[in-house]
Amino acid sequence: MRFDYRSRVAAALLTGVLYAACGGSDGGDADAGNGESGGEAAAEVAAIDPSTVGTISGTINFSGDAPAMEAIDMSAEPDCAAGFGDEGPMMQSVVVNGGGLANVFVYLSAGVMDAPAPYGAATLDQTNCRYAPHVMGVQAGQTIEITNSDNLLHNINATPTENRGFNISQPRAGITSRQSFAVAEVMVPLRCDVHGWMEAFVGVVDHPYFGVSGDGGMFTISNVPAGTYTMTAWHEQYGTMGMEVTVTAGETTMADFDHTGLQMAGHLVGEPLVIHHGSDEVVFNRAQQ
Amino acid sequence: MATAIAEPTGRAVIEEAHPQSFLRKYLFSTDHKVIAAQFLFYTLFFLMIGGLLAVLMRQQIAWPTEPLTLGGILPETMVAKATDGAYMLPEFYNALVTMHGSVMVFLAIMPMLVGVWANFLIPLQLGAHDMAFPRLNMLSFWTMVPAGILTLASFFVVGGAAGAGWTLYAPLSARPDLTGVEMGQILWLIALVFVGLSSILGSVNYITTVINMRAPGMTWFRMPLTVWALFITAILGLLAMPVLSAAGIMLIFDQTIGTSFFIPSNAAGDALSGQPLLWQHLFWFFGHPEVYILILPAMGFTSEILAVGSRKPVFGYKAMVWALISIAFLGFIVWGHHMFQSGMNPALGLAFTVSTLFIAVPSAIKTFNWMGTMWRGNLQLHSAMLFAVGFVAMFAIGGLSGVFMASTPVDIYIHDTYFIVAHIHYVLFGGSLFALFGAIYFWFPKMFGRMMNETLGKIHFWLTLVLFNVVFFPMHGVGMAGMMRRIYDWTGYQHLEGIGATNQIITIAAVGLFASGFLFAFNFFWSIWKGEKAPDNPWGASTLEWSVPSPPKHGNWSEIPVVYHGPHEYSHPDVTDKDWLGQNERPDVVTPAAGSH
Repeated sequence: MRFDYRSRVAAALLTGVLYAACGGSDGGDADAGNGESGGEAAAEVAAIDPSTVGTISGTINFSGDAPAMEAIDMSAEPDCAAGFGDEGPMMQSVVVNGGGLANVFVYLSAGVMDAPAPYGAATLDQTNCRYAPHVMGVQAGQTIEITNSDNLLHNINATPTENRGFNISQPRAGITSRQSFAVAEVMVPLRCDVHGWMEAFVGVVDHPYFGVSGDGGMFTISNVPAGTYTMTAWHEQYGTMGMEVTVTAGETTMADFDHTGLQMAGHLVGEPLVIHHGSDEVVFNRAQQ
Repeated sequence: MATAIAEPTGRAVIEEAHPQSFLRKYLFSTDHKVIAAQFLFYTLFFLMIGGLLAVLMRQQIAWPTEPLTLGGILPETMVAKATDGAYMLPEFYNALVTMHGSVMVFLAIMPMLVGVWANFLIPLQLGAHDMAFPRLNMLSFWTMVPAGILTLASFFVVGGAAGAGWTLYAPLSARPDLTGVEMGQILWLIALVFVGLSSILGSVNYITTVINMRAPGMTWFRMPLTVWALFITAILGLLAMPVLSAAGIMLIFDQTIGTSFFIPSNAAGDALSGQPLLWQHLFWFFGHPEVYILILPAMGFTSEILAVGSRKPVFGYKAMVWALISIAFLGFIVWGHHMFQSGMNPALGLAFTVSTLFIAVPSAIKTFNWMGTMWRGNLQLHSAMLFAVGFVAMFAIGGLSGVFMASTPVDIYIHDTYFIVAHIHYVLFGGSLFALFGAIYFWFPKMFGRMMNETLGKIHFWLTLVLFNVVFFPMHGVGMAGMMRRIYDWTGYQHLEGIGATNQIITIAAVGLFASGFLFAFNFFWSIWKGEKAPDNPWGASTLEWSVPSPPKHGNWSEIPVVYHGPHEYSHPDVTDKDWLGQNERPDVVTPAAGSH
């Protein structure tokens, strides 16, 4: 009987230790996010043989009428509002300049056979109560350094569907937190619950072959191994477009996307995009991205 | 003539019949006194942890825009490191608020009130060899151990410890995306289920022991008020804790296997069938009886200590018993007063207001009877007595502020403010913890066979009394000024501009209050080894535990005592050689007073 009781007590203790251990192992993501592993852990990026890689470059053309962006009411945060010009802060969901659409995440969605380990850290800043950049890409496991440049409290609430989410706070300026996403997911939305207009999107892919279109709609993806790929462009309002692209070693392949402005749809993250064009209806599911 | 060799009898028989290994004697013991001591060390440790969390929390409240002192040693999950220092993260503050309350209620005060003293006192005061179910008793302690481990571990998992408040309101507690806490919340819920199991096992034991194992002559109305209080508390625990445990398991399911008992919508905004109000009803159906679980034993200890320290019988013994029963009964029909702001039919609110106000009646009976007990008594102001008197005063303040909250219109104004924080601490600290300190000073000699140092005890009392009031009395004011009870940084609110200095004074006093605990801890541990050896009955007390050696041996009694008298026979007119009459003193051997028959 004595042995029996000891066994029961030991089992109870073991249960507690196991639960604690489970919590510890689940912490792997955050540890990675704290810079213990992931991109920063790779001491050196693998040397790239220039004779085997090429570049993809292009523009996200926008031919329709760009919708006028709403002004953001930042009167509750005058220090942030002071950082903008006379026209004040505007929403960033559709930014068209010179016929080019900015904030489009472009990545190789199929055909990548091998990819180097993530290297270095991506950065995301909160400045004047907005995320900078508004759209960014990272490699799965890569560290994201999230900094608060505003001397007020922001929280960063990431709500992925495939990865572990996080909801962290940064109470004042000069604070940097490190996070990461373990598996590919396009896109992960981030938001600040304190400032409802603050929203950013992170494209997480298994390789480093991605880019985000800048002002004027131009993007570049460098050091892509020669081969044929499917390339996808994602935009938070216009959904996804795909094309096949062949990369030749030592050359730059031009690949433009043309948005007509008719592909307006609801928010894309986590829900299918339905595009109506005349009597035609095209549905883009997340699985197709 | 042949010399007869005496057969071993009594206690010696018990000792010889149960040779025990070190592990069975001190670690996996079934002796109620050892289990009580295990609970005492466990709960004192968590009392210190809970106090540490409070001090950290108070620093943030006093200086919300300043870096945390020594914050640099904390991990990045708790503080944000900037160039000028380390700032406490809001989510860590949420964890501090949540876990301070949770640790204090579930791992410190409740098990110290019940696990320690029900275990130690029920068999000794009833004249029993041990508990009815000694092995269940051992299990009730060891189920608390994983609860403690899981609680401590939860601070170091991804997302940190639980952050939805000690009341675990859904959907905050059920949806990780709302707080950023996932594993920490689950760990705490599992710990809570262990606490519930421990409490249920203990309650079954205490109830069975009181009903079945009273010594001959120990009628219901000869039981010490401490045993009455612990007995009624055990009934409350047996009825209330399963509700919390079941609700906790349902909440774990919501977190882990996709049920939605309490979640009305998911992170994507999809409507689910869960009801957050269901959680509130289940929690408070447990929670309000829990308030009485946390105060009834303290009332029992206080009654006992005041009678001994006043050298008078308890004033209105039977009224005290019925008051305990009344409070326990009413405690089950008032839970809605925690939910006045949750949306409630006004008629139902009125019903909960009235039933809550009724509790003031038995509470007042007890308070007046304590004063009646002391009235014109020969007061012995030792440390235990000081804490018992302190309990009466502080409980009166906490009770009166409770009447404010019972009234719906007032409660709407002060809901979720620091007024509530002040009230709960006047009841749980000024009430329960003062009585617990009194109980420790009072029964320490019986438990460890040594006396605690009286001078240190009195310094501890006065420091505690003064600092406690400096900490918590001003909270009524900042609460009335509108300071929210769980706020991380109040500086952004115009209406709170004037509360900075008050909060700083509160925090400085809180640090002093925490430090005074180390004076107690020093006295406690020093006295275990170096304290003056305790006589069997150092206080001249009449209940049964004082008729056995200090500390009592395994099995307590060589022969089960026979009880002839009530529990609090002090300054008895029929005895002259001393001013008390032991419960088991035979009437025919009591020295009669001159002139008495």
